[in-house]
Amino acid sequence: MENRNTYKKLVSTILYWPSLVIAVIFMSSCEDMLKEEPKSVAAELFYNTREEVEAAVNAIYSPLRDGTMANYIATLECQSDWMYGRGSWDPLSQYQGLNDANITRVSGFWNAFYLAVRNANLVIQNAPNGNAISTEDVNRLVAEAKFLRALTYFHLVRNWGAVPLRTEENMTEKDLPKSSAEQVYGLIVSDLLNAESNLPDVPNAIGRPSKWAAKTLLADVYLQLERYQEAADKADEVIQSGKYKLVSVQNKEDIQYKLFGPEILTTTEEIFYFKFSRLANQGNYILWISNHPSTNLFNFGGAYAVHGDLTNPNYMNWDDNDLRKDLWDNIDFGLGKNTLVSSKYVDPNAISQNGAGNDLPVYRYAEVLLIYAEASARAGNAVSDKALEVLNQVRRRGYGLNPEAASELDFDAGMSVAAFIDLVVRERGYEFLYEGKRWHELKRIKRASELILEGKGKTLAEKHLLWPIPVSEMNYNQALNPASDQNPGY
Amino acid sequence: MNKLSKNKTITLIMRLSFLQLILVGVFVVVANARVTGAQDLLDKKITLNLENVTLQKALATIEQQTKIRFAYSSSIIPVGEKVNVRAVNRPLDSVLNDLFADLNIEYQPVRGQIMLKRIRKKAATGGEQSLLPDETPFESVVMESVVKGKITDERNNALPGVNVLVKGTQRGVTSGIEGDYELSLNDGENTLIFSFVGYLSQEVNVNNRSTVNIVLEPDLKSLEEVVVIGYGTVKKSDLTGSVAQVKSKEINAFPNANVLQSLSGRAPGVHIRQSSGAPGASMSVRVRGGNSILGSNEPLYVIDGFPVNGGPTHLNNSDIESVEVLKDASATAIYGSRGANGVVLITTKRGKTGKTVVDFETSFSSQKLIRKLDLMNAKEYAMFYNEQAINDNIAPFFSQADIDGFGEGFDWQDFVFQRAPMLTTSLNVSGGNEKTQFSVSGSFFGQDGIVRGSNYNRYALQSNVLHTVSDKFRINLSTTLSRLMTERKDSGGGSRGNSMINAAISAPPTLTPYNEDGSYRVLSTAYPFIATDIRNPINFINEQSNQIRANVVLANLALMYNFTPDLMLKVSGGIENRDDRNDNYTTTRFFNSQGAASVSAGQFTSLLNENTLNYNKTFAEKHSVSAVAGFTYQDFLNTSLSGSGTGFLSNIFETYNLGASMTPGVPGSGYSKSLLLSYLGRVNYVYNDKYLLTVSIRRDGSSRYSEGHKWGNFPSAAVAWRISNENFMSGNTFISDLKLRSSWGLSGSQAIDPYSTLNQLIAGRTIFNDDYANTFAPGTRLPGILKWETTAQFDLGIDFGVLSNRLLLTADFYNKNTRDLLSTVMLPSSLGYTNTIQNVGKIQNRGVELGLDAKILTGAFTWDMNANISFNKSKVLSLYNGEDILRDNVGVIIINDATSILREGRPVGQFWGYRELGYDEKGDIIFDDTNGDGSISQADKTYIGDPNPDFIYGLNSTMTFKNFEFNLFFQGSQGNDIFNASAITNTMDFGFGLNMPKSVFNDHWTPDHRDASYPRISLRTPTRVSDRYIEDGSYLRLKNIMLAYNLPVQNLGIKALRSLQVYASGQNLLTFTKYSWWDPETNFRLDHNSYPVSKSVTFGLRVGF
Repeated sequence: MENRNTYKKLVSTILYWPSLVIAVIFMSSCEDMLKEEPKSVAAELFYNTREEVEAAVNAIYSPLRDGTMANYIATLECQSDWMYGRGSWDPLSQYQGLNDANITRVSGFWNAFYLAVRNANLVIQNAPNGNAISTEDVNRLVAEAKFLRALTYFHLVRNWGAVPLRTEENMTEKDLPKSSAEQVYGLIVSDLLNAESNLPDVPNAIGRPSKWAAKTLLADVYLQLERYQEAADKADEVIQSGKYKLVSVQNKEDIQYKLFGPEILTTTEEIFYFKFSRLANQGNYILWISNHPSTNLFNFGGAYAVHGDLTNPNYMNWDDNDLRKDLWDNIDFGLGKNTLVSSKYVDPNAISQNGAGNDLPVYRYAEVLLIYAEASARAGNAVSDKALEVLNQVRRRGYGLNPEAASELDFDAGMSVAAFIDLVVRERGYEFLYEGKRWHELKRIKRASELILEGKGKTLAEKHLLWPIPVSEMNYNQALNPASDQNPGY
Repeated sequence: MNKLSKNKTITLIMRLSFLQLILVGVFVVVANARVTGAQDLLDKKITLNLENVTLQKALATIEQQTKIRFAYSSSIIPVGEKVNVRAVNRPLDSVLNDLFADLNIEYQPVRGQIMLKRIRKKAATGGEQSLLPDETPFESVVMESVVKGKITDERNNALPGVNVLVKGTQRGVTSGIEGDYELSLNDGENTLIFSFVGYLSQEVNVNNRSTVNIVLEPDLKSLEEVVVIGYGTVKKSDLTGSVAQVKSKEINAFPNANVLQSLSGRAPGVHIRQSSGAPGASMSVRVRGGNSILGSNEPLYVIDGFPVNGGPTHLNNSDIESVEVLKDASATAIYGSRGANGVVLITTKRGKTGKTVVDFETSFSSQKLIRKLDLMNAKEYAMFYNEQAINDNIAPFFSQADIDGFGEGFDWQDFVFQRAPMLTTSLNVSGGNEKTQFSVSGSFFGQDGIVRGSNYNRYALQSNVLHTVSDKFRINLSTTLSRLMTERKDSGGGSRGNSMINAAISAPPTLTPYNEDGSYRVLSTAYPFIATDIRNPINFINEQSNQIRANVVLANLALMYNFTPDLMLKVSGGIENRDDRNDNYTTTRFFNSQGAASVSAGQFTSLLNENTLNYNKTFAEKHSVSAVAGFTYQDFLNTSLSGSGTGFLSNIFETYNLGASMTPGVPGSGYSKSLLLSYLGRVNYVYNDKYLLTVSIRRDGSSRYSEGHKWGNFPSAAVAWRISNENFMSGNTFISDLKLRSSWGLSGSQAIDPYSTLNQLIAGRTIFNDDYANTFAPGTRLPGILKWETTAQFDLGIDFGVLSNRLLLTADFYNKNTRDLLSTVMLPSSLGYTNTIQNVGKIQNRGVELGLDAKILTGAFTWDMNANISFNKSKVLSLYNGEDILRDNVGVIIINDATSILREGRPVGQFWGYRELGYDEKGDIIFDDTNGDGSISQADKTYIGDPNPDFIYGLNSTMTFKNFEFNLFFQGSQGNDIFNASAITNTMDFGFGLNMPKSVFNDHWTPDHRDASYPRISLRTPTRVSDRYIEDGSYLRLKNIMLAYNLPVQNLGIKALRSLQVYASGQNLLTFTKYSWWDPETNFRLDHNSYPVSKSVTFGLRVGF
């Protein structure tokens, strides 16, 4: 009996008191227990040190590079007078406006561009409030963010025209009306002027913009805006700096490996490139888009989704001695025997389908030279010797000659401005093929219809000139009116 | 037992004559010596507290608790006598001794029953008192004929003590020890009535036979079945909510990797399907339709009281005693914030006091592809692509000589899909004594998939131990340890042959898997016109492995302490732990591969503490109250680790030496924790077995929601009226059960992941200097302030049984309204954030469920049938800003578009696309310009189909004759459309050398055949998300057909065995459907090259020792 009672008591103690204790603890600390404590950084506590702000700046690159840039370039090239899209890319080369598949494709670019803009805005807004960062670092990093924001808007405005202008001021306003193209260019220019004065002469890493990258982009923007003197001046500043030099080549392989090669870290010609590397998920995808497995130039085959054609007059009229012409391989993969496959980017040792080491040039020195050539000719309404010389430099290099030394290929002085500009435009075509430049250039010089009819025999529908504003914007931005704010024809 | 009818219905209470009792008494004396387990009956522990109730009520209460039947004649036993009985976990015999002490009643256990008789008083005058005052005198008449026979139960055991009455007279006898009887009939008497407590009465016409043998069917409704509900159990008759119960026999009817698979078609209102035919594929379970847009819509699974994470994949079917699906709010609200999608309660097997029993089961199945697609042969393929070339102004690909040389070609489906075995084995040992009951089991489930190289294996150990420490204190431990291993070959989806499943259809029949030198043929460059993406399926089969191994522990310890017989405290603590590891390796022999390895390991741990007080008491006989109140704590911790590498010099490393890779990937790790705190309470009140009331509330606090919105209240209330227990129904012998139920309540859904409301930065990488650099930025989802999704549900139900519940109908109507729907709200993408989550929107589901149980035939030949059918209609009531939500994007190169829409006023998930109007002069499809603007754009999309079935149904039929059992189980769905995305690539993507069904070859547009099913064969033939891809997904499937033979082990004198059953069965042998692709069941809503299901033939053995 004694035992039994003790036992009972024990059991009650075991069960009773802990329960009550648990109950008391439970009720008093509920709210604390329910507080979430993730093992990640809260946005509110970030953007304080140089390292943090730099990591935030780095995040502007990701949406532009990852997956976007390679597809974006291929998309633009399908609309050029040289290259053709196959399969789902084919409607881009028909010039009758975008179909559903391509509308979806370009809305992906829109989203990526605006994600980059947001990440830039976050830096521009938050960096100045950092509590452990020097003013110098703030200025440099904000300038880098502004450079990237300007570059992004430059692409947005050329493809879509007037777009919502998201800055650090209005970045949280859900419904924002479109700004005119002029207003967009206004921001681009002011961002670049800021970047020009605050970016370093030599950045701390290859792949970041220098003040010279800002000047180059500004030159291109001025050219677009037909502010030719300013364009020529900015380009000339870059030329005068003496920091850049065309890469000398002797043969096709030199172009493939010394200029665009998968293993080069940088070149004397690099002004601003998106950098790729043979590291997990950090490689280039553009090779997969265009290569054909039989070329053996890319060890992961390829989808040969964009290609050229032997019968295109641009190709037929191209001098066979131009090394750049050799960057086209004639391969019949089912579209007939005239199909050309680009071998500008090659990597026989990539690590995966999207794992090639080749960088994607945004601005290289050859472009600065050609911007100068065109802008100075247009600004002065005369072809200066210097303009002619820089055009010849690009041409000589294309033929494997010393860019600096006069050659028998050189264009003679004394041609008309118009003839000269035609030559510059043609040279740009040869030089920047498959670098995503051509379509914007055709639109800029207002000869898209003419040159596309000439090159491909296609009639350009007016609606094809601007891409439709994606459903993801049109439907959810209440400040946009679907009837009046959508681009024509969509 | 139906208490009211027991008073009145002769079938339930046997009236025994004293003479018969003496006979029984003799039998008992004889039988007692050899009937084992009789003492076990009397050792059974009971706990009850009855004051001033009738003896009849007391006996009924004991019957309910012990499942032991009393056999007595109410004419001799004073059933109306008032008694008091109080016991806490006392053996039955001591309770009965007390109970009968003053009543002159003796009792004896007989074959699982307890016979009651009056103690014969030794007459003062000496000698035995002669026959009884109320004995029915046998009439003394001339006997015309004699009929005799043997009475047995459904297992062929002799039934002694059965009352045999000549209909229309008072004459009768009781069957003897061997169940035999003999009776004389007068002229004109032809019908005998056999009745026995606990069995259904039978009337039999003699028709001049001299021998009439009878098999009595147990009256399953006669004793109360107990149904498991949240935090307790309830008698089926006392249910106020809507609960579907599936028992172990149905769960074990045919081999299944997952218990949920075996529930499909069994429970009304529950739509269950496998996500694909792959071994161990996940299951989709919808209870009364989907409530949530963002959430999983899967119910909460509770195993032996432990709410687990995800589904019950680690359990073996043979370890499960029963599964209860809680459907209405009165049943689910006790699970509060997790109850909105229904709750599935799984109860594993428990031990019973008595002799230790051993059950062994094994089965072997052979599975094969349910059907092949009828694809073009080599010759047709060549002709087809020549036609495409001509249409596209390209030179024909094949010469006439080529074409003539091709015959049938290679059958890739036969190459990829194989006949595959499946093996199940389980051993269960259970038993116990008065102090300790246990059940332990070990099992193996092994299934090879019909795709070569795929499999699923599970080893499980399960145990349940209940120990009674003292009359107040008990302790229970349930544990499951499982090891799961699966090799997956379910590379599905995709297009143009870039996934294995798609490649199996798309690969040209003109080509074979191997080159002449034995190397793998590269299909993508085999022809100049062929798709670049197409892969030889042999790559996936031989050169890519995806292995998942998991160890799962589920353990729950409960301490139960009875302060008084009425009041029990239960404290339980449990752990769920799941460690899994996923190994992926692509060898260097895979097309375009340098070898790629990745390993990811995850650990999930959930700790549970539940503290409940349970109270049960009956006041003044008529007021029965049971209540539970408590608080619980549960946390959920996920951590993960991953690593990868590409570029291997040798395949020998597989995933076991990532350091040997040339390019190591970025390692990853993750952490997330969430917590749920809850208070709960419920009261059940029953008045006089007629009026029932249940009220419950749960208050949940979840860490996942925003400050100030973490707590939610989930109340419910239900009432029921047992009309059949009303006095005015007492004369009605036709209706045996009639109950009206109605309930209303709130339950919630945790549709969001932890940290969804916090503004966190995501780390990433980019490249400078040819090297990594860190990035930090917010994601593209803007965090918002979030609270619960709440579902209000109203239910009105009826349970209706007639003819001693030979026919039982359960019908429910429900209406569910989900508000504060967590929904993705699209943002203008120029914000950089593309979406946010908000509590907006409402969805309604309403429907009707009917379940019917019928014992169509009883006797020697029995036929049981149960059928169920469910109708559900869903409707989107409101969405954010009234904006449509486009969903279910299909990306297959030629189409990249949303296929379904959520729009206010429309059913959930309606298909949304273009309408086709035939073909133009060129043979291209004309799409309907619904808005008449002259061009075809997204604005022309319209409703093209509805994936929601009009109804789903199941039909189970079991017939037994002698030792044979024959079972048929049908299941089906009616009126649902399927979007066949598989058909986009393989019937419309011309010009890439993909193989296609013969129907495309035979029935496409040509200038001479304009009324065709398919358009012109051309590279540029445009297609869109159109009604072309909408197919009727209705089907009726014979899920299982089984013939079993129970060896009469007793008759054969095999003493070692308790039972032995052998069976042969077939699964999915017949499917009636118009659906064109592999399978309408797994491909509910959307079919996109999923692993096909199989049909199988099974042989099995069940042995009891």
